[in-house]
Amino acid sequence: MTAVRRTVDAVWKLESARIIAGLTRLVRDVGLAEEFAQDALVAALEQWPSAGVPDNPGAWLMTIAKRRAIDHIRRSQLLDRKREELARDLDEQPDREPDDVLRLMFVSCHPVLPTAARVALTLRLIGGLTAAEIGRAFLTTEARITQRIAAAKQTLAEQRVPFELPAGPELAARLSSVLEVIYLVFNEGYAASAGADLIRADLCLEALRLGRQLAELAPDEPEVHGLVALMEIQASRSAARTGPSGEPVQLHEQNRARWDQLLIRRGFTAMLRARDLGRPPGPYVLQAAIAVCHAQARTAAETDWTQIAALYGALARQLPTPVVQLNRAVAVGLAAGPQAGLDLVDSLLSDPVLQNYHLLPGVRGDLLAKLDRPAEARREFERAAELAANSAERDFLRRRAAQLPAEPIGRTLGQVAGEFLRRDDLDAQTLRSYAQTLKRLRLTLGENLPLAEVTPDRIAQTFATAWGSAAARTWNRHRSAVRSFGAFADLPDLAGTLDRRTEPSTTRPTVDLAELWARDLPLRERVLWRLLADSAAGPGSVLGLNVEDLDLAERRAWTGTTWITWRSETAPLLTELVAGRERGPVFLADRRRGPGRPPMAADVCPHTGRTRLSYERAEYLFKQATGHTLSALRPR
Amino acid sequence: MRFLMTALADDAKPDEKLFTEMAKFIDEMTAAGILLATGGLEPGGVRLTSAGDEITVTDGPFAEAREAVAGFALIEVRSREEAIELGRRFRAIVGDGVSVIQQVYGPQG
Repeated sequence: MTAVRRTVDAVWKLESARIIAGLTRLVRDVGLAEEFAQDALVAALEQWPSAGVPDNPGAWLMTIAKRRAIDHIRRSQLLDRKREELARDLDEQPDREPDDVLRLMFVSCHPVLPTAARVALTLRLIGGLTAAEIGRAFLTTEARITQRIAAAKQTLAEQRVPFELPAGPELAARLSSVLEVIYLVFNEGYAASAGADLIRADLCLEALRLGRQLAELAPDEPEVHGLVALMEIQASRSAARTGPSGEPVQLHEQNRARWDQLLIRRGFTAMLRARDLGRPPGPYVLQAAIAVCHAQARTAAETDWTQIAALYGALARQLPTPVVQLNRAVAVGLAAGPQAGLDLVDSLLSDPVLQNYHLLPGVRGDLLAKLDRPAEARREFERAAELAANSAERDFLRRRAAQLPAEPIGRTLGQVAGEFLRRDDLDAQTLRSYAQTLKRLRLTLGENLPLAEVTPDRIAQTFATAWGSAAARTWNRHRSAVRSFGAFADLPDLAGTLDRRTEPSTTRPTVDLAELWARDLPLRERVLWRLLADSAAGPGSVLGLNVEDLDLAERRAWTGTTWITWRSETAPLLTELVAGRERGPVFLADRRRGPGRPPMAADVCPHTGRTRLSYERAEYLFKQATGHTLSALRPR
Repeated sequence: MRFLMTALADDAKPDEKLFTEMAKFIDEMTAAGILLATGGLEPGGVRLTSAGDEITVTDGPFAEAREAVAGFALIEVRSREEAIELGRRFRAIVGDGVSVIQQVYGPQG
């Protein structure tokens, strides 16, 4: 950009909101108004480099834009007299009225528009940013922003959104939409300000300017001043919130000398303006009041946590989001002691929204550490580290865990789950499914929870939070995984409090058993398939059977975790298959194993030297015979 | 980014019109969220000079009065060009004289 271009750009950003707002009042269409304003900008780019920047560039731009608007009316399809009347009328209208920009804000933040469109349009019309600048700030393309803005203008025209100040009951809702857009822009910038991307961090300044402007335009609205106070005070900490290598620094560890006192003062002033209006505080005023409490404390230790906890209590009543509740618990923990905080945090454990939120176990860990329960605290920090998405935070949480003493806790959930999933008697699909269930248990309960503390109550709570609203089939799948895990880990009642849910009729493929049994089948296949059809046992368990497990007289076999039973028609066939063998696998492979990796001793028949029939081979044989997988044999 | 705009002292006596226009300008800059702080400075003031271990305190007025700063405005803007444009508007109001614009590095970076 040349120097003149940069000057034109600076002037444009200072003036465009007023020009577009004034034009919108005249032509009653945001899209048209912006077009005329752009025409004026083009004229400035043509003329200013040689003629110089005029003394009053805002008025210059407005004059050009207004002339374009009048030309537009003169060229329109209206009757001559009507056209002249409109053009003269427009020419006589004042360039500016005090409420123009405020009206434009209400239009660009109108609830008929999607949030992303409101943000883009507001930055464009009020902030004077180009589509390219907005695209860079929101990590998207210029084309997409241009499209978004065009669509927004069209919606505003189609819905005939008036260029008026909302009044009465509508005002509160419309104003809160404007505040939401501004705070969203601020947070986008604030989140980015830790990184190197200055364009994104500049959004904080845009939001602050929008907020400050709004506070002058709507001085009787306490929430506007509340938002401004909140943003000023948050912005005051921006230099202190990252360490030398870009790592986040928590509020209580920040160097308060690096807080910008000027912005803090401005925040206090805005807060006083809100308070002077004497109305009950809304969410922005309450959040600002919390920020004020922090800003007033000269050291972290001087923070008035009792006041902050009370403010969060009031905020949670108006804005009962899980994150507000969690912040409240932190404040209560500092005001009334860690046990009070922990009680509140524990009441949030069953909230599905928070189940993957790393700060929940992070806060719990902190409170547990203060309660001198280091083992549990360590587990919570480890769990928080697992859930944290940001590597700086993950490292921080791991360090906190490592600072706490490790205790001899015997076998842990993570260890036993690992062993359970390394079993070789389960098919790959079952293992995958079990792994899913256990992953959730490990994330929610912690990798290092002692096995003895894996209780049915904890399982029930995890289930309610994670799968309480899932389909019955999903619930049952996880339930059976937990039952299987419980049996494996010797915790037989693990799924004791979980009811099996009724599933809607499934579309599992069926096999015509009568037809199958009527076929001329090899004895081994016939026995295997009958056993699977007779009992509810899975192929893994049945293939894992050994001759010594069989109780042929009682028609049952013990798999180590459960009984398998069969019908009387199957009994003689099984006796025939065993054929006097006393030990070793019931179902044997066709051939002896060749050289290569030696099989486990338990998988070799001592009588014949043949190995156990593999799961893959068994599936293959059934697929060849019927086109289905063995699961189709399972009785329902 | 922040800029400190300072106006150097001059001999002109401000009149009523200038006060009104200045007040309007300040209001506008405040309403636009640009002006963070502003003020006028006493002529002279106190000068502190350190040399070695010694610090000398001298009361004004001083000989080079025309180099002294008479007023300042701390502004928060998007770019240097924006600061310059605002400086131009300020100079258009106050008439002949000199202003200096310098970027402020500070807690905000």
